[in-house]
Amino acid sequence: MRFSRLPLLWRVFAINAALLVAATLLLALTPVTIHARIAIVEGLDLAVGLVVMLAANLLLLRHTLRPIDRLVERMRRIDLLQPGQRIPEHGGVEVAELTHTFNEMLERLEAERRESAQRALRAQEAERRRIASGLHDEVGQVLTGVLLRLDDDETKQAVRQALEEVRRIARELRPEMLEQLGLVSALTELSRKFADSSGVHVERRFATDLPSLSDDAELAVYRVAQESLTNIARHADASHVEIALQPGADSVVLRVADDGRGIPGPDASAVNGHGGLRGMRERALLVGGALAIKRGSEGGVEVRLEVPAGEP
Amino acid sequence: MPIPLVTRILVADDHPIVRSGLKKVIDAQADMEVVAEAEDGAEAVKKALKDDVHLAILDVSMPKTTGIQAADELHKRKPELKLLMLSMYDSEQFLFESLKAGASGYVLKSDADQDIVEAVRRTMRGQSFLYPSAISTLVKDFVERGRPEEEQFDILTPRELQVLKLIAEAYTSKEIAQELVISVKTVERHRQNILDKLGMSDRVELTRYAIRRGLIQP
Repeated sequence: MRFSRLPLLWRVFAINAALLVAATLLLALTPVTIHARIAIVEGLDLAVGLVVMLAANLLLLRHTLRPIDRLVERMRRIDLLQPGQRIPEHGGVEVAELTHTFNEMLERLEAERRESAQRALRAQEAERRRIASGLHDEVGQVLTGVLLRLDDDETKQAVRQALEEVRRIARELRPEMLEQLGLVSALTELSRKFADSSGVHVERRFATDLPSLSDDAELAVYRVAQESLTNIARHADASHVEIALQPGADSVVLRVADDGRGIPGPDASAVNGHGGLRGMRERALLVGGALAIKRGSEGGVEVRLEVPAGEP
Repeated sequence: MPIPLVTRILVADDHPIVRSGLKKVIDAQADMEVVAEAEDGAEAVKKALKDDVHLAILDVSMPKTTGIQAADELHKRKPELKLLMLSMYDSEQFLFESLKAGASGYVLKSDADQDIVEAVRRTMRGQSFLYPSAISTLVKDFVERGRPEEEQFDILTPRELQVLKLIAEAYTSKEIAQELVISVKTVERHRQNILDKLGMSDRVELTRYAIRRGLIQP
């Protein structure tokens, strides 16, 4: 085994041991005029002394170097998907320094991840707006114009269908209602369309005294509601959904709860890695809000989003 | 106010191709004519106030001043002017907000070719025009939550009740005619009577109904 591959403990111990053995041997083999019997006793003394020193050396070294092992162990267990974890700065000067630097690096990584996620989100929304505009303004209007000029029924029907599809896609991408009529109207429409297409019964509880939100916050609430309902339609197998918008402490709280299958696992922590739900979490963070997903009181899933009120 | 021989119409939409298409359909009728056009809400308000116009068709999604904002302003400043909304969106929210703002009707662009003429005529007669699936939804909502107003069912004739149930299930007039073995014209007549009796043919009544039912905020 190559020397440099040995763990630190064994390297230091080996060096110390070599020194101690050499010193002992030197002592033992130095020419000395001693009676043979005394030489044996002295030899035994030296041997025992050596063993004791070696043992003490090993134990002390292991104690001093243990924090490094612990640190390595902890570093291994850090999970970037759960931000906020930091290692307590114990141990000697060097170990504490190392831990501190490691924690700083974690901080930088998390900040960077957050920033790039938010950049991606902003780019996505801008893109959606562009596509929706293009669809609505260019494609939709041209089709409408064409429809009004046609005489052949069959062609008209085909154009009508195309127009319906364009309309549906545009609406999903950019909820114009949100801009014109506000969050409550947009969510009412969203939930009604969901009820129509999925057959699930929807109960709406929208408070009338909601504080006003910034445009970004309203869009975040809308998107989270949209994503939640999509998930329910796809996975939940639910029969009843409640969607609520209530005032909080200088904030607005959205709740979407269903009575479906729920999330597998004891504490819904499995959802943290799921793409769409991560997207919701990022949206919440982007507007300074907080998202929580847990097991609902009716057995299914409850999504709770709280966003701060007022302009940013 | 007596219905004019030729209804003078202003068309407001930010897309020339839509305006020209509507003009073609409207001008082909003897009793209506497009006399003014506008590209956005602000221009629509200006022209509608100034010109001798009986009815204004406003696109819901216009830049600057939106269609609903324009409708609101026009309704306040020239209440005798009739207003029809035109939209890409089959949205009850937009529909009821439009009615609240003063519009008499809401026409979907995807059906504008066949609905706009009827919508204009009904509006000039003082009736409302709702796109068909909105009527189905309204009626369905009425039927499903009918408990406290069960007595309303008594004022409908048995035949009208039959038609009501089919409307609630989103049958078209043609389908209802086939189902009940009557003419389409008869179906339309029943439909109008039902809406009248249920207080849903007038924009004021419809708005009140929608607010009562929580379909929109007051």
